[in-house]
This record gives sequence, C-alpha cells and structure tokens, in this order.
Amino acid sequence: MSIEPFNRLVKLAARAFYDDITTKGDNQPKTGRSDNRGIAVVVLDALSRRQWVREEDLAKDLKLHSKQLRRTLRFFEEEKLVTRDHRKETAKGAKIFSAAVAATADGQQPTKEGEEKIKLHTHSYCCLDYAQIYDVVRYRLHRMKKKLKDELEDKNTVQEYVCPNCGKRYNALDALQLISLEDEYFHCESCNGELVAESDKLASQEVGDGDSNARRLRREKLKDMLQNMEVQLKPLMEQINRVKDLPAPEFGTLQAWEARANAQRRAENGESSATDPSKSSHGLGYGGTPMPFLGDTKVEVDFSGVEGKGNDIKSEADTTSLKVLPPWMIKQGMNLTKEQRGEVKQEAKMDDTLAAPEYSDDKKANTEDNEKTLQDEYFKAYYAALIQRQQEEAEKSRQVGMKSKRDENEGDDNVNWEEAPVAGDANGNFKVNDLNVEADATAEDEDDIDWEEG
Amino acid sequence: MFFHIVLERNMQLHPRHFGRNLRENLVAKLMKDVEGTCSGQHGFVVAITGIENIGKGLIRDGTGFVSFPVKYQCVVFRPFKGEILEAVVTMVNKMGFFAEAGPVQIFVSNHLIPDDMEFQSGDMPNYTTSDGSVKIQKDSEVRLKIIGTRVDATEIFCIGTIKDDFLGVINDPASV
Ligand SMILES: [Zn+2]
Repeated sequence: MSIEPFNRLVKLAARAFYDDITTKGDNQPKTGRSDNRGIAVVVLDALSRRQWVREEDLAKDLKLHSKQLRRTLRFFEEEKLVTRDHRKETAKGAKIFSAAVAATADGQQPTKEGEEKIKLHTHSYCCLDYAQIYDVVRYRLHRMKKKLKDELEDKNTVQEYVCPNCGKRYNALDALQLISLEDEYFHCESCNGELVAESDKLASQEVGDGDSNARRLRREKLKDMLQNMEVQLKPLMEQINRVKDLPAPEFGTLQAWEARANAQRRAENGESSATDPSKSSHGLGYGGTPMPFLGDTKVEVDFSGVEGKGNDIKSEADTTSLKVLPPWMIKQGMNLTKEQRGEVKQEAKMDDTLAAPEYSDDKKANTEDNEKTLQDEYFKAYYAALIQRQQEEAEKSRQVGMKSKRDENEGDDNVNWEEAPVAGDANGNFKVNDLNVEADATAEDEDDIDWEEG
Repeated sequence: MFFHIVLERNMQLHPRHFGRNLRENLVAKLMKDVEGTCSGQHGFVVAITGIENIGKGLIRDGTGFVSFPVKYQCVVFRPFKGEILEAVVTMVNKMGFFAEAGPVQIFVSNHLIPDDMEFQSGDMPNYTTSDGSVKIQKDSEVRLKIIGTRVDATEIFCIGTIKDDFLGVINDPASV
C-alpha cells in the first residue's frame, strides 16, 4: 500500500481548491488576525502525515484552537475528504488509542497525564479518506470542465431568432406561436417574415451590435478560462492519472484501525499483556511532541560525533540544493512579468534559506542539550563547520538562482498566492547570505526565537 | 415532476343537481372542470385522487347557484429546468423539433441537436446522423433535458436539449 502518491494528490488538491477557504462565518469582521485562509491547506497537509488522529491532539500539534480546527474538519467532512468518528470514552479507551498511535511509529505522544483522570468524555477522531478523495477530486475536475464546455458550446442557452424585415426578436420559448403550416421555418408574428436564428446571423454577417459583441467576448473569456484551467490544474490531473490504478490506502474504521495497530505492536514487542500502553506513551515523555518538519532524526545522531560533522552538513546541503521543488512551488515562480522577475529570484533564494534554519534549529537544540559537556571541546569545530556551511550556502544559492530562471519560462499566471508570507518571514534569514560569516550571531538569534515559538 | 397535492376550489352548482346525488354531481363536475387544466403555479392537473372536504354551500345572490368550497387531492405534473423527460416527437422542421411529454409541449431547437445530425426535408422530415444509424422523425421517442420553461397563468411551455450524454432517441419507430 503506497501512500505517497495519494498524499501528493491531497497536497495538490488542497492547494488547488482549498487555498482561500476561510471557515469563519461571513458576518464576522475579516481583520488581519481573524483571516484564517490557508488553515485548510495546513490541516490537510498535517492529516496526510497521520492516520487516525484525535482532534484535540491535532489541534495541539498545529497550535490551533480546537474549535477552529473542528470547524475546518467539519468543512472537510462535508467535502467528503475526511472521515470522522466520535465516541464517549474513559481514560482506558483513550489509552488504547494512544497505544495504537504509538504503534504506528509516528512517535506521537497524544495524551497528557492530566487527561487520564477525566472519567467519560466525548472524543472526536479524524482521518483522510483517500479512496473518496480520489473520487471527489476527479468529480470536481469533471464538473468544472463540463460546466465551462457547456457554456462554451451554448448548450444551455435559449436560441434567439430575429426577423430580418422588422427586427422583432423572439426566442425558442415562443416557438409554438411561430410555426407555420406552409413551410418548415418560423415566421414573424407581425410581418410574417422568415426568422433567422441569431447565431447564424452572427456567423454569416458578423453584425457588430452590442449584444453579439458581448456574447463573443464572453465566449473568448470562457475559452481562456478553460485553457487556464487545463494549464493550472495539469499537475493535479497528472497525479490523478498516476494514482488511477493504485489501490487507495485504507485505514478502516477507527476501531478496526486501533485493533490492527495494537495487534501489530504486540506482535512486534512479543508482549502478552493486552494493555500496557502507558509504558510506551510515557516513555516518550512530554518533549516527544511531534514537530513533523523538524523531525529529522538523522541530523540528531550525526551531530554527536566530531569527525562526521563536516561531511554530514555537506551531504545535507547537497540534498537540499538538488531537492526537487514540489509542483505548487514551481507554479508560483512561473510566467512573470519582467518587473517581477527580480522578486522571484529573491524568492527562490529564500526558499533555499528557509530550508537552512531547519537543520540549524536541530543543531541548536542538540548543542543545547550537550552544551555543558561538549561546548569546550567542540567549540572550534562547530564554528569551522558553520563557516563551511556558509560558503556552501552561498554556492548553493547561486545554483538555485539559475534554476529559478529556468522555471520562469514554463509559463503560468497564478503568482501571488504565496509571495507575501514568504517575503515577510525570510527577511532576516536573507542576511545570512549577504553578510556571510559576520551575520552568524543575528541569524542564530532569530533561529532561537523560531524554535521557541514553533 | 409529479406531485400529489391538496388543492381547493369553489364549485358553483346549478340547483337542478341538488338532491340525493349532490355530492356525486359535485365531484363529477370538479373532475370535468379541473382535470387536464394547467396552472402556472402547480402545473398540469393529471387526476383527482380524492375529496378531502366539502364545505357549506353558499347561495349566490340573484342566480340561485350555490358555491361549495371543495378541498381535493390530485396528482399534478410540473416540468422543471434541468429535469430529464421522455417525450414523443410530434413535429420536425428545419428549426428543430417539437415533442410532447404527456400534456407538456417541448421544443428542441436545431442547435441543441447533436452536431452530427443533419436535417433532411421531405414527406417525413427528420434529423439523421451521417451513417443513418440514428433518426429523429415524427413519433420517435426521445429522452431530453429541459433547459427552460415559460410558465404563464394557464400554460407551460418548455425548451429542451438532446445534446448531452444519454440523451436522444430511445426508440425508433421506423425500426419497430
Ligand atoms: Zn417581422
């Protein structure tokens, strides 16, 4: 059961259809703070990294208010992307779920000790329904295309007729009054002239009166829309085709999934006792709260050794520079006017520098852990490595700059949607490239703040 | 679409119908008056299925007629935009064709007939595909989709299309 292509589908669909969904009621004022567009994408992405998850835990992980998350999830339930399950459960029931979560090797630690004291509580769980998502996305694409095509082909428009003699206009709803017994044409009620269908007139004479002009413009607009749709949704359609013959990941109902996960865990541990989940969940400790984008355990291990350090950073840098940009990232850089190109180059660099804090965060965290014992010995090696990394980054950003140029040529006009947040966030990190080694201290300060927040 | 609804009507009855059969006479007259009529609001009254209630009669000044408020159940047929109907073709001409679905008349204009069907004039005007496999002429049965309705107080007229998936001829009288 390969889940990766389906997760990619979810991510593409999220960005294509749910990017500007806001779950706030319309009557609430849309101040900058309450504007929660983009939440939908974040939630879908988070769900694609999980299986069944308790909604409170998800809210905690995403630092969202549980009400807000629930509203978003309810929306997705209506959209048929997400299955939800609600049940009243005791602390024991919660434990069974925790054990199941632990068994799926995500290393999540969903319950705090305090919660176990609550006697009976309704908990909600949610999970992506991949099979249905595939159908929903396919159906949505089909409807979009069909609607545009129908309009384009005038499928549902009422045919109009006009009298060439007196100019009186009729439409198909008048047909009953217009038929004549002598021939097979419609005839004018007032002058008995033979009526001409409006579109024929347009084709034969190209009469430029306002009405037909508007109609032509509308047709062109529709054609553009259809074309834009084909281009912009191409990655999504391709992913749909790729996924077509794959079996959709199926987690089953909450109960089935729990039972399966627990059975698997017991088999792995060779345990006989049915429920000792507290052990496994407590073992992780509170610090084990998952941070998916930071959860790069490989780095953690590598940094504990001195000699491996330089090489590891290098390999990491290599992979990031070679990293294939996901399609929604590529999209935004494409088809720009010339004034905007400078901006995009920056942006491409920023993508790169945004990736950098990922491991510098890890490094920071780990060095903090080991600080007291290791600081003195590794101090010099650490800075040597830092300098090396700076140099590599400078190289790397040059490479990425080249790459972004190539992307621009591919053409797309959906540009604006992610520029603003990226620009705001990356200003500080941007310095790292410009000021090179001297900027170390400031860059790290900012990383620090990021770490505490996120 | 068909609906089973309750309607009310004031029936005026001539005094000669009074007597033991007053009720029967009233219902017979109601059926004669109402069945087959069309109101823009409710559609075509197809059949009266029952009498709910007959109110107290009121003698009209000067005439001697008595009016009874009658509540009756009936089946009505009301076409809607987007509805799929099966209809019998009644007339074919260069502008398209007319068809009937029960009491409703529907016009399908030639631009809503699939592009591969060409008009053929003659004794039996028809629309035919280039390979001759599908033919629409008088008495053909077609499945069509309503794309517009004109509802007057006493009349409903529809226009339809057969230019969509699963629409078109469902039975060809020539081949039977
Ligand atoms: Zn005229």
